[in-house]
Amino acid sequence: MISRGLKHIVLALIVFIWVVPFVALVTTSLRSETASKTSGFWTAFTPTELGHRFGTHDGGEEFVVLTGNIFDRLNMDKDSFEVSGDVISVFFKGRVPDPNNEGETILKRRLVPVGEVMDVRGGEFVFQANGDFTWTFPEATAPRPKNLDVFINQDPVFGTDAFVEVLFEDENVPNALISSFIVTIPATIIPITIAAFAAYAFAWMSFPGRDWLFVIVVSLMVVPTQLAFLPILTGFSGIASWATQLNAWLTDCEATNSCQVASKTFASLWITHTAFGLPLAIYLLRNYIVGLPKELLESARIDGANHLQIFTKMIVPLSVPALASFSIFQFLWVWNDLIVALYIGPNNSNDLVFPIRLQKQLGTFKDQLHLLNASAVISMVVPVIIFLSMQRYFIRGLLAGSVKGG
Amino acid sequence: MRSLRPIIASNGLAIALTVIFVLPITGVLAYSITAPLDDWMAGLGVWLHEARGWRVDLFDTEERFTKIGFAIRSIVIAVGISFLYFWITNWLNAGLSRVRVGKDLGKQTAIVEAIQPWIFVGPALVLLTLFLLVPAFSTLSLSFQEADGTRTLDNYSFLWNPDSLGYVQIRYALRNSVMWLILVPTVCISLGLLIAVLADSTKWGIVAKTLIFVPMAISFVGAAVIWRNIFAGGGIEPQLVENGVTPSYQIGLLKSLLGHTPEYNEPLYSLEFWGNFFLMWILIWVQTGFAMVIFSAALRGVPEDTIEAAKIDGANPFQMFFRIKLPQIYSTVVVVWTTLVILVLKMFDIPYALSANDDDKLLLATMMENARNNWSVGNDNVENLFASIAVLLMATVVPNMIFNARRLRREQKEMGH
Repeated sequence: MISRGLKHIVLALIVFIWVVPFVALVTTSLRSETASKTSGFWTAFTPTELGHRFGTHDGGEEFVVLTGNIFDRLNMDKDSFEVSGDVISVFFKGRVPDPNNEGETILKRRLVPVGEVMDVRGGEFVFQANGDFTWTFPEATAPRPKNLDVFINQDPVFGTDAFVEVLFEDENVPNALISSFIVTIPATIIPITIAAFAAYAFAWMSFPGRDWLFVIVVSLMVVPTQLAFLPILTGFSGIASWATQLNAWLTDCEATNSCQVASKTFASLWITHTAFGLPLAIYLLRNYIVGLPKELLESARIDGANHLQIFTKMIVPLSVPALASFSIFQFLWVWNDLIVALYIGPNNSNDLVFPIRLQKQLGTFKDQLHLLNASAVISMVVPVIIFLSMQRYFIRGLLAGSVKGG
Repeated sequence: MRSLRPIIASNGLAIALTVIFVLPITGVLAYSITAPLDDWMAGLGVWLHEARGWRVDLFDTEERFTKIGFAIRSIVIAVGISFLYFWITNWLNAGLSRVRVGKDLGKQTAIVEAIQPWIFVGPALVLLTLFLLVPAFSTLSLSFQEADGTRTLDNYSFLWNPDSLGYVQIRYALRNSVMWLILVPTVCISLGLLIAVLADSTKWGIVAKTLIFVPMAISFVGAAVIWRNIFAGGGIEPQLVENGVTPSYQIGLLKSLLGHTPEYNEPLYSLEFWGNFFLMWILIWVQTGFAMVIFSAALRGVPEDTIEAAKIDGANPFQMFFRIKLPQIYSTVVVVWTTLVILVLKMFDIPYALSANDDDKLLLATMMENARNNWSVGNDNVENLFASIAVLLMATVVPNMIFNARRLRREQKEMGH
């Protein structure tokens, strides 16, 4: 045998590579905007030196000595992602008198460590690792507040703010979620209904040309759907203009100028997904139904049952595993589809399905990685739950028909 | 039977015509009758909004609930109509046969039996014809036409004429497609085999397999977002100060491991030429689970006695795998390879999401989208160009199609059909 240890190590390494991206996704979605923008997700689990900016005070009052705490100032307006840890240094950037040139100033950039006295607006500014600072002036003054950049060895902090933001404060993600459900549910149920009847006919009924029709249907599995887009679009816009005229003729929509019937709608997506899903569905279901005991059918026929009764009372209950494995396929396929929705689906902003929304967010959330990742997590929750809970049926489907083109 | 032909044909026609008229009208009627439900849903939304004190705009709530209401009734109507079809046709079929031949039960049954299969396969055949077969042929003819309909080969001229639109892009697209076609299936199959073998011989293999399988459930765009965290760059840049530099981070994991500084924030998948390999990796990450599951099942199906015999002959694990097991699952490997090849040929989402306008990363499918969006400058035959690329795509799939059809016929014969 190969050494047992090596086997475990190689497998563990592969699993590690497979899982790290998921860890990155979830971690980034749970971090603050600043943290996700400035440091890698792997720094989120250990204390990491991160930069923050705080204002010394609110201004107005006169004082000789101002005492305060950097962490209090930083966390003043926050109810999440509270900063804690040890202050390492303050980034001082300002003009100070030039020792070599009397009367001139030079720009000084310096990391001021804990305990070192720093000249801020003419006062002496000193801070401690726990964030306490004192700002002492020779006499009572009312200095303007000063914003200082501080580097803090920050403790890990996570929060669900990004999820709250994309789900409740932004309308795109909820809309995308609703649209995805609107597209997916009928686009799963309709093909399975149509395919089950066709599969029954292909399996147990005899009609001329049955075998050749079946081969043609199954061969269509590999036809690239792109090939069909243009004619389908033309067809739908033809139907839409026809429906627009009908609408104008039947209703008083001309008064409100609302006669226009859209050609790229949810309904066109349902029909298109149905058609594209049929070959695999018919293939899977027919192969399953053909394996059911033939005596069942014959005895039911003798009892005088017609085909519709046999189908609904016997075939459907017996075919639940096959129906389940196709419906999970189709559900995942439609939920995750980008290209069909892009060409044929509705293109107004409110009705975009999740993959298109996510693709757009790759651009709009370029600097808000926490939001981008949160949105991606939301888009994956539904398919991953369905997938994991019905994995058995999914694998059965894969094994039965591993030639799905889409 | 012969005398029944005209009756069968006319009954079938009657059923088809009824369906064509009744179903759409029922649909439209159902939509207009249920329209008030949308307002009712909006009202429900407003009530919930006020009762629960939701944070979102009242207008948004109203709009969203209207949409959900619309969705629910659309779903019910769409699904209802597809059930209605089967119920109506069955009823008509039985009823019409009774009307036409009276009480002769034998004839009634003959008529019903002749029409019934076509009722069952009808919707599927109509949809497949309208949405796959006819479009495929009309795309083919579109690709040999000018915008005004005259016959031409010019839409394909980018294949040989350096002056034509898309000459550069098609070269990139073909080069990249070949690279993808060779690398992605090969790596997926090798990794899939490796994992299947390793996982089936370790106790925690089932956990490993599930984890590797999960990416199959997520969208390619989702996978692109996931890997962006690893491949893309950025972060805070260091600042030089008197006593050192301020802390800086590279936020992309792999870029950080490669030692790229935050200023160098070009994502790895945007690199000229080499970027393609990072895009491919994302697809490999998604699809390896598929290969693994199939191989895992196939390897378990290898007959025990062949393995026993090899053991007795003193085969080492490598010989066992390459000489005994692999040849026996060869046909499975071919099936997986076919599936992956088709998938790669149609690959669109990943390059589109991550490097939409990069000529250097084009594949045939993304080039089609590119043609549709960017080539319309002074040219009105963009649709025909689009069609010609689609036909190229199809041409690459045809061998697979024939292979599949043959396999299917063989299977059917073996099963005695």
